[in-house]
Amino acid sequence: MSAFGQYIATHGDQILQLTLEHIEMTAIAVGISILVGVPIGILISYVKGLNKPVLGIANVVQAIPSMALLGLFIPLFGIGKLPAIVMVIIFSLLPIIKNTYTGISSVDPLSVESGRAIGLNRWQILWKVRLPMALPVIMAGIRISAVTAVGTMTMAAYVGAGGLGYLIFAGIRTVNNIQILAGAIPSALLALLVDLLIGTIERLVTPVSLQKDFAKTTPKSRKHRKVRDIVGLVISILLIIAIVIGSTVGNAAPGGKQITFGAKDFTEEDVLMNVYSDYIEEKTDIHVRRKPDLGGSEVAYEALKQGSIDAYPEFTGTLYGSIYKHGGTPQNRQQIHEIITKDAAKDGLTLLNETPCNDTYTLSVRKDTAEKYHLRTIEDLAKVSGNMRLGSTIEFLNRQDAMLSVQKKYPELHFKKTVAIDNSPRYTALMNNEVDVIDAFSTEGLLLKYPITVLQDTRHAFPAYYVVPCFSAATLKKYPELAKVCNELSPHLTESAVMKMNYQVDVEGKDPEAVAHAFLVENHLIKA
Amino acid sequence: MNLIEFQHVSKSFKENTVLRDLNFEIPEGKLTVLIGPSGCGKTTTLKMINRLIRPTEGKILIDGNDIETVDKVELRRSMGYVIQQGGLFPHMTVRQNIEIIEKLEDIPEEDRAARTSELMDMVGLHDTDFLDRYPRELSGGQQQRIGVARAFATNPDIILFDEPFSALDPITRGSLQDQLLEIQEKEAKTMVFVTHDMDEAIKIADEICIMHDGRIVQFDTPEQILRHPSDDFVVDFIGPNRIWSNPEYLKVRDFMLPDPVVCHKQMPVTGCIRLIRTKHVDSVFVVDEEQKFLGIVDRRSFTSDHRSFWTAADVMMEPDFTVNVDDSIMSLLEKASSFEQTRPIPVLDDNGTLCGIMTSSVLISLLSRQYLSSEDSMAEGGLA
Repeated sequence: MSAFGQYIATHGDQILQLTLEHIEMTAIAVGISILVGVPIGILISYVKGLNKPVLGIANVVQAIPSMALLGLFIPLFGIGKLPAIVMVIIFSLLPIIKNTYTGISSVDPLSVESGRAIGLNRWQILWKVRLPMALPVIMAGIRISAVTAVGTMTMAAYVGAGGLGYLIFAGIRTVNNIQILAGAIPSALLALLVDLLIGTIERLVTPVSLQKDFAKTTPKSRKHRKVRDIVGLVISILLIIAIVIGSTVGNAAPGGKQITFGAKDFTEEDVLMNVYSDYIEEKTDIHVRRKPDLGGSEVAYEALKQGSIDAYPEFTGTLYGSIYKHGGTPQNRQQIHEIITKDAAKDGLTLLNETPCNDTYTLSVRKDTAEKYHLRTIEDLAKVSGNMRLGSTIEFLNRQDAMLSVQKKYPELHFKKTVAIDNSPRYTALMNNEVDVIDAFSTEGLLLKYPITVLQDTRHAFPAYYVVPCFSAATLKKYPELAKVCNELSPHLTESAVMKMNYQVDVEGKDPEAVAHAFLVENHLIKA
Repeated sequence: MNLIEFQHVSKSFKENTVLRDLNFEIPEGKLTVLIGPSGCGKTTTLKMINRLIRPTEGKILIDGNDIETVDKVELRRSMGYVIQQGGLFPHMTVRQNIEIIEKLEDIPEEDRAARTSELMDMVGLHDTDFLDRYPRELSGGQQQRIGVARAFATNPDIILFDEPFSALDPITRGSLQDQLLEIQEKEAKTMVFVTHDMDEAIKIADEICIMHDGRIVQFDTPEQILRHPSDDFVVDFIGPNRIWSNPEYLKVRDFMLPDPVVCHKQMPVTGCIRLIRTKHVDSVFVVDEEQKFLGIVDRRSFTSDHRSFWTAADVMMEPDFTVNVDDSIMSLLEKASSFEQTRPIPVLDDNGTLCGIMTSSVLISLLSRQYLSSEDSMAEGGLA
């Protein structure tokens, strides 16, 4: 409990910032889905034959997993708030459309007949009879949508949009339960607040006599409650508007130069992003917006290509084998560099100088496993692999330069079972003896914490993975100083330096930003 | 001025023919009831008047104008429409319900409020508290009254009712029927009223239109329908005991003994005695040459000191009372209730001519007929 309290105390600012971001995105998404969904619901109640196809489409879309939808959106909307908001809009539409349609179509036919008979025209019947009487059902749909939207918006972190999901994912990545809670609890509280807010709106908007507790109220009590509701509602709406405006203003470039530096969703990337960004800000007058947590190499590369980010740290081997899909694992660094530079140029990207840090894939086992089976190389492992369970990152299993390459170079290797686990949890699984082999990255901090043996890749299944800053060519043209500055910094990022920073984050639980900053100061690269 | 005419109106839903070639007129200023068994088409007919339903064939005219040529929203605003529970909108207050059309027509607030006040009085709701309540806070009877009030809001000439009182308890129903009759007396609107309740129809209708299978079977006043049903269907529909619930329609004419034993006023007393003995009667009725009734000769007339030369005129007695041939049984019973003796009662027409007599035994058998079943009791009673 106190550790949690401590986390809140130190990270209060960040949590608040993320909460505001979360509110902003959810408010926009829910607002738009109401503005779009209700009219569509009304439309399909009136136009014959429209209801089946529209509801059918909405149903199908609803069934698509939110992550998948997000992934599909990146080429269209890039990364950041836009794809997240669009995704939540789409998921919020179904309950709203469906409830609006159901509400309007199932209004008591006697009331409608009465309305027609006393001389109301179609429009008046919709406005004065159907809509008011359908409001309880419509508001129920809106309420469900809004509350669910808060939860769904945690996915936004996956496309670098921020929000409370950032803490949840970061916590999962680094097995930091407190961080997970720091994201989940505010999210839950927010959902409750949203429910309260929509409930208040519901009370104000729904005709008094149609509300459930009407029988227990008196005209006086209703009036009091109305005043309370309106005051509460006005305050809430003003707050939300302030948040939305505040963040759009805050996001505007601070009257000057700005670039966006991204990072994939693991610690080393986070650290490298912060190192480069801090250094750039120190050495130039460019403001750097950070966009960590991009979900995987493909997402980050796509975002760079599409222009949502200006740069991110990539690995030469990843570019060569996974992104540009070249076969084999040539050992000539120069050759590889030429090939990937050419490929990058085709996509409008430029690779700056490589760092000395080679963070390669490995296959690693617990020390006791290595001793038991006398394992020193992957070849040794292959011989006994029939008894072994592999727990590796998802990317590892799918990349041409990873598992597929291993299977080609070590055809006798067949694991008994394969499980996909990302980030720190796979170390937990390894040490808990739930898996026997993991794809440890050679500079991961946790390698220093646990008794793990890294097996040698004698047949060179894995290429070299030197860290290289990947920039959009246009950005470099616009700010030529960036190339000089980054190339200055890169030689300092040695394997041991990077591994030490990873250790500080993953094992000592420090913040990537703080760790990056400390590194730069210690190496006299920036002033304290 | 607001005569409603149906000309060759037919209606079919898919293959189902609901109305067949209806031709009739609804008289203005009167309350016409449409009644019949379920599925006879009465509600369909009603809903054609305000174009909620369109005829498959035929025309409906109001004041000589085909209703299809009029804007249907205007048409409906010129009529009142009352359904069960008043058809009130649950999300509006009573006032909002009543004033809804007026508000749409931009009638100013004070005028609306004044009219609403009038209407509430008209339907017997004098408590202004009602106006700000919602329908769900009112009883069924109150809601129904509001429904009627709303129908009258724009002062229409024609008001349509679709089984408005069916869902109410008998006491409330009776009260509302009475209220409606009161309103009709004052306002004399053209009202078309659909019901399946024959008692209700007889109570409130000026004219009753009995429908069966999409056709009109009989269109007449309640009295005519009760006394002269046009066919077996009507007889069955009315039911054998209906008329007993409406005793004001039981006329003396239908039940009297038509051939009393009479004698001329000049007949000597001995002749009277002989008549009494041979005809096995208790009394002889004395008339003049024109059959005008003069008096009764019975046991009381014969005392030991009568003279043989006396005539009927000398010994005849005044009856306790007489009744008119067109009086109802009710008024006869009323008169009879003040007298102990149950002597035969002379039945006279407006000229004083003796048409028949009523005796206590006729009354007993008449009144017991409603309890003893008999298929053609109506016919037997001479009501055809």
